[in-house]
Amino acid sequence: MKSLIIGEVSNGTLSSGTLEIITKAQENNLDFKLVVIGTENNPKIGSDTFEVIYVHLSPDELSLSSAADTLVDAIKTDSIELVLASSTYVGRDISGFLSVDLNSSPVANVINFEINGSTLTTTNSIDGGESEYFTNVTSDVKILIIRPKSFEASDVTLSENYTTSSVEKNDLTVNVFDVFIEEKTGPQLEDSKIVISAGRGMVDVGNLKYIEELAGKLNAAIGGTRAIVDAGWMPYSQQVGQTGKTVKPDVYIACGISGATQHQVGMKDSKYIIAINKDEEAPIFQIADLGIVGDTLNIIPKLIENL
Amino acid sequence: MKIAVCAKQIPDPAISVTYTDGKIVRPDEQVLDDTDRYGIEVALQLKEKYDAEVTVISMGKLGTQKGIQQALQMGADKALVIEDPALENSNSLMTSNILSGMAKLAQADVVIFGTESSDGYSGVVPQQVSRYLGLPCISYVKGIDISEETELTRQTIAGSEKVIMPNKCVISVTASGVEPRYPNFKDIMAAKSKEVEIVELSSLEFTAEQNQEFVEIKSISSNKSGEKHIDEGDSFNLIIERLKEIKAI
Repeated sequence: MKSLIIGEVSNGTLSSGTLEIITKAQENNLDFKLVVIGTENNPKIGSDTFEVIYVHLSPDELSLSSAADTLVDAIKTDSIELVLASSTYVGRDISGFLSVDLNSSPVANVINFEINGSTLTTTNSIDGGESEYFTNVTSDVKILIIRPKSFEASDVTLSENYTTSSVEKNDLTVNVFDVFIEEKTGPQLEDSKIVISAGRGMVDVGNLKYIEELAGKLNAAIGGTRAIVDAGWMPYSQQVGQTGKTVKPDVYIACGISGATQHQVGMKDSKYIIAINKDEEAPIFQIADLGIVGDTLNIIPKLIENL
Repeated sequence: MKIAVCAKQIPDPAISVTYTDGKIVRPDEQVLDDTDRYGIEVALQLKEKYDAEVTVISMGKLGTQKGIQQALQMGADKALVIEDPALENSNSLMTSNILSGMAKLAQADVVIFGTESSDGYSGVVPQQVSRYLGLPCISYVKGIDISEETELTRQTIAGSEKVIMPNKCVISVTASGVEPRYPNFKDIMAAKSKEVEIVELSSLEFTAEQNQEFVEIKSISSNKSGEKHIDEGDSFNLIIERLKEIKAI
């Protein structure tokens, strides 16, 4: 199946989501080319084994819509049958734009796919990961938006070997007048070995200081449930779950989290799950390796003190 | 200025979703998707500033229309709704095709969405609608500052960026960017007399097609037989012990 992977740049190299899709594409011997979209200068994203094109965009404007125009042309010219993108801000934007021009609805939140001849079957995770939902995609061009952490990241050797292409700006371009780069200190959610997450059981935003202190002791990243992000306790970028990030750390410590389906989707594949919750019946205990029924606000300070 | 804001009715999120033949079972009484409250709040803030008209657009099983009423109670002026057997289990492209048509009926300059519904969560409908309508797309808006001009702050992977809202555009709003308002008694009463117009499918241009064929649902029940202890004041020791056993510390 002739394929096109929509890649992204992160810190001068390919994003983890892109590397994960490359793993799957290589396992399936897909005939693919990689089109990387980014704003960084001279990233190391090339390869000697597959074709890489860098669509270099200006950070001073929203021009993904123009990039989509270029991609649509490439997809048609090369008779691409399968387009693979990551479930990220850029991946979703681009896939959405492409899908209209190609009259092919994307399948979103895909965690796996199988190809048998001309049949492509996608897998989605539902019921908080309790069930898998299988779908055949019947359009000529198939667009899949892949959830992060669905495959191992490829350790492919990257080089300077790629061609850079600019895009012709269409009239949907919007100027950006201010760019803010968030200073990222400490371990990041996506790749930290230990993640500590907070839920409503932390009672008050002020109590998040315990989570921060514990995270400091364990060199862990901090996440939160949708409920506390909605409440404004944490930025959206720290939300773990269906509508947030997917994490797969060695240890996940859920503090005052009941374990709604929405949250479980984003963390259930963690290797070792520790859950602390007052409610003995909380669903989080069904997926926990170690469950402690008790008040997080009593337990965490003692844990910090004794670590 | 005319604004169309999307409101989706979804099954009560407190109750587990069930499926028949791969389709989400939708009860008669569905509620407004919480995700949409953020988009509606942005629409209402713009309404207050520019004296805009806000039309709720919604597609799917109407049932008791509780969710539509909830959107109107927040302060939207009227609603355009559509339900048709041909739209059951629509993929994202079919949905956005229909919603684009509804936005046109509402003569919307600005079309506003949440980032993704809580039941389907494809997260591409706003982008698709912008493409159908040929409008700029400002996705993942996490902040709005209305003064002389309207500044929108977008969430990006690296941080955030700001743009001036174009006169005509499509916006998707993330949770936590604005504080959705709660209707008071007067708002709730007033919503009852607001117009809810039912749109016929035949009045819309509909070119998107179903391209997803349900195969099966497999249970992979993975309930762990983990250990559970009631805290008696010393469970921190147990946590430390286990962290040592798995060599996390």
